[in-house]
Amino acid sequence: MAGQSDSPISLFSPEEVEFIAEDELMEIVPNMRMDPLNFICGDFGPFFPQIPVKVPLWLAVALKKRGKCTIRPPQWMSVENLTQLLEGEREDQGTFQAVPFHYIEISRLLFDHAREDIPDIYMVRSLIEDIRDVRLHKVETNLEKFSATSAVKIAHLSAMEVNVVRPFVVRSLQAFYKHDNPVVTADLDSMSNRQPQVRQPQVPNNARRFE
Amino acid sequence: MFNDCIIIYSIFGGCSQVEEGAKVELPFWLAQELYLRQAVSINVPACFNQKTRREIQADAANVDLRSRCPYFYEFGCKIAPLVGDRTIGKMLLSTFQMRYKDILTKAHTVAYAMASKFLTVLTKEETNLYEAAQLSMATFKKWRIGGPRFQRASVLGRKRKPIE
Amino acid sequence: MHGRLACRLVKEITTGEKGQLQPFNDELLNEVTKECSENFLVLQSLIRKMQDEGLDFQTTRNADHYGALINHLSLIRNKRCLMAYVYNRAEIIQNLVWKVGLRLFELPEEIQEKLSHSEKEYFNRHSAALESYMSKMDLDLNVDMVPPKDPYIKVRVLDDVGEGIVVSDKAANFARHSMHFLKRTDAEPYISRGLMEELTG
Repeated sequence: MAGQSDSPISLFSPEEVEFIAEDELMEIVPNMRMDPLNFICGDFGPFFPQIPVKVPLWLAVALKKRGKCTIRPPQWMSVENLTQLLEGEREDQGTFQAVPFHYIEISRLLFDHAREDIPDIYMVRSLIEDIRDVRLHKVETNLEKFSATSAVKIAHLSAMEVNVVRPFVVRSLQAFYKHDNPVVTADLDSMSNRQPQVRQPQVPNNARRFE
Repeated sequence: MFNDCIIIYSIFGGCSQVEEGAKVELPFWLAQELYLRQAVSINVPACFNQKTRREIQADAANVDLRSRCPYFYEFGCKIAPLVGDRTIGKMLLSTFQMRYKDILTKAHTVAYAMASKFLTVLTKEETNLYEAAQLSMATFKKWRIGGPRFQRASVLGRKRKPIE
Repeated sequence: MHGRLACRLVKEITTGEKGQLQPFNDELLNEVTKECSENFLVLQSLIRKMQDEGLDFQTTRNADHYGALINHLSLIRNKRCLMAYVYNRAEIIQNLVWKVGLRLFELPEEIQEKLSHSEKEYFNRHSAALESYMSKMDLDLNVDMVPPKDPYIKVRVLDDVGEGIVVSDKAANFARHSMHFLKRTDAEPYISRGLMEELTG
């Protein structure tokens, strides 16, 4: 009810993209014993203390909040890997590094709920922020190159990055397409206009309503 | 929605008498239908004349298109086949190409208050583009910072009176 | 001039903030309807005149023909504008049902004042339809519009909510500025109406 994404032009709100990301599997180390959980999305568990097990991110966060587990940050979230990624992003302005599709959402959820489980959290956090900023800037540079209808292919964009630029990109491409193909629009227009041309005004039926 | 354009040579009666060969201004929706019935011919509207085109070529980003026609592109697409001017289509594309980049960079970098002057020269569609970019960036930043997920329904508008 | 008033009517939808209601413009709407009737009368009389003169309406291209044509086109244009006005408002009204509340009295007064009589009826019928659908499905479709997280949230009361409010079978005293820990789905309608705010952190 409240707070739903109001903009009709944006397909998903960031909250909704985050919701999708919560299905990504995470490794947790439980500190309790629990029977397997059988969900529509799959079966998880059984859970034994100190035995790592994979669960969806939302479940990991829920258990973490109740102090039932620690979360093992994903492999890519290491300082070495992130440093390498950032260097790659900076060196090659033309292309994007392959990052996890939900890296922005996953890292935000883990920073919010599992700070103590992430080694070098401050470093990791600032690296991810840098990577995100460099990439968003690069996306923008990429968009500047649009000049007419052409297939647009940008590899390795992440879910949130795509979501941020989607409303603008879709509208711009539509405008470029429309003006780059005047024949298309002219045809479309004359098709919708042709109708009244053939019909000469008789006493129109629909006019009667206003009698 | 209600774009005026000049038509010449009209022969209608009933409501008001217009002489054949006279020039009158009519809203586009009417002019178009009369044109299709070969009752009128349509002159190129002022917002697509040579003077405007020269201004656009000189400094596309700063031409005040809104005051010339808030539906510059849409109107252009519709009027081009009626006035038989093939150059209008090309001009629309090149105008959009030149202004597009400015809209993009301003939307992402300039603060809203600073951009207000720039916004006054944009057409409706350009404003929509700008706002689309601004809005999605703003909602993303808001999400990043976190905070309440539930809010007053926007359909109710801004808060009416401050609660004392 | 043909269609000027109708154009003003349609423009009312685009003024002000997007997706928000302006007061229903009875007066202008009636004027446009009146213009439609006038268009129709002129159209009719011109056709009759041509028939009286023994002219074939299908082929004759005289001043009367074009006069009739223009009145016909204006009539269609005006009708289209009227429908656009009513339709766009109806969409906002549906939005109110889904996002603010199923009962008309739950809407803020200043919103109620903006609705015409038939729009209020539309509101009531739309919400009745939604309610019966939800009860058949045994599902609240108008909550959890934001992906849900915790089942309970902290809220602060912003306005006079009224006494004797019962949420989840418990009566609570929602005095202004008081803070509560409520079931998310209970709090959501109050937040969307601006009577409570969610507290975080």
